[in-house]
Amino acid sequence: MEHWIYTVSIGGHNVSLNLDTIFTMWFAMFVVIVFAIISTRNLSLFPNKLQAAAESIMQFFYGTLNTMIETENKKHVPLVASLFLFIITANLMGQLPLRIIHLKNGAELASPTNDINLTSAMAIIVLIYYVFAGIKSKGGKFFIHEFSFTGIVMALVELLEMFTRPLSLAIRLFANIFAGEILVSITLGAMAYFLPLPVMLFEILVAFIQATVFMMLTIAYIGSAVQEEH
Amino acid sequence: MEQTISQMAHLGAGIAIGFGAVGAGLGIGFATKGLMDAVSRQPEVAGKAFGFFLLGAALSEACALYAFVIAFLLLGK
Repeated sequence: MEHWIYTVSIGGHNVSLNLDTIFTMWFAMFVVIVFAIISTRNLSLFPNKLQAAAESIMQFFYGTLNTMIETENKKHVPLVASLFLFIITANLMGQLPLRIIHLKNGAELASPTNDINLTSAMAIIVLIYYVFAGIKSKGGKFFIHEFSFTGIVMALVELLEMFTRPLSLAIRLFANIFAGEILVSITLGAMAYFLPLPVMLFEILVAFIQATVFMMLTIAYIGSAVQEEH
Repeated sequence: MEQTISQMAHLGAGIAIGFGAVGAGLGIGFATKGLMDAVSRQPEVAGKAFGFFLLGAALSEACALYAFVIAFLLLGK
């Protein structure tokens, strides 16, 4: 649970880097990028197994976007697909036996999503993306729909949502993975060899569900920003 | 005095995770009730409804995990 913190000084400010998170994050990115490159090499009309798997994964994103956003939904696929694939790889990495590698200061390698800095960064990327998508499709109407009392109150509520949405996105993913790690280590102390295994199986389910939830909420936020109210 | 603040923080951590778990338990219970109602009324939607149930259960479980994060922050005090 401890992080390997490395402090650098940039312009008189001390910036702390969690090196173990950076390492595992790059590893997850490496896995996703290698999968993408290998599965799109030698594309053919009669796909081999890897290409068929990649196609069905992409079909999942297209189908979900189709059901939740009505118009111009294809252009949001890159963000949604990369978020989902990165989060699922990162979450599943937490169940690998990475703890046997001991780092400095008692730090352990674990899933990169058990660091709130990473999940906050992803949530802020989602915030910036949906605000810009909303401005692009609605213009100034994205902020204030109508000049009346209810319109201004709703605008203030939406301004508040700009803070609460990324906060809840970040804390939801972080807390699920973090609680999973703590649960595994507690069961490892209480009843080793028997209890951790079902808990880890449950954590695999949680990894899939949380990646899906993050993706669904991203799509819902983009949809609410882009679509006109009826 | 320092001792007392630490003890109170541990008490607060217990209270936080306790009340948080009540809300999440109720939420997942209602979600399960909804799933059971839907499946018993229309057994053919079971697969589709289970996906939505998992989504809703994960969302309401997250509320308990917010409380868990607060409890963990309090434990460090």
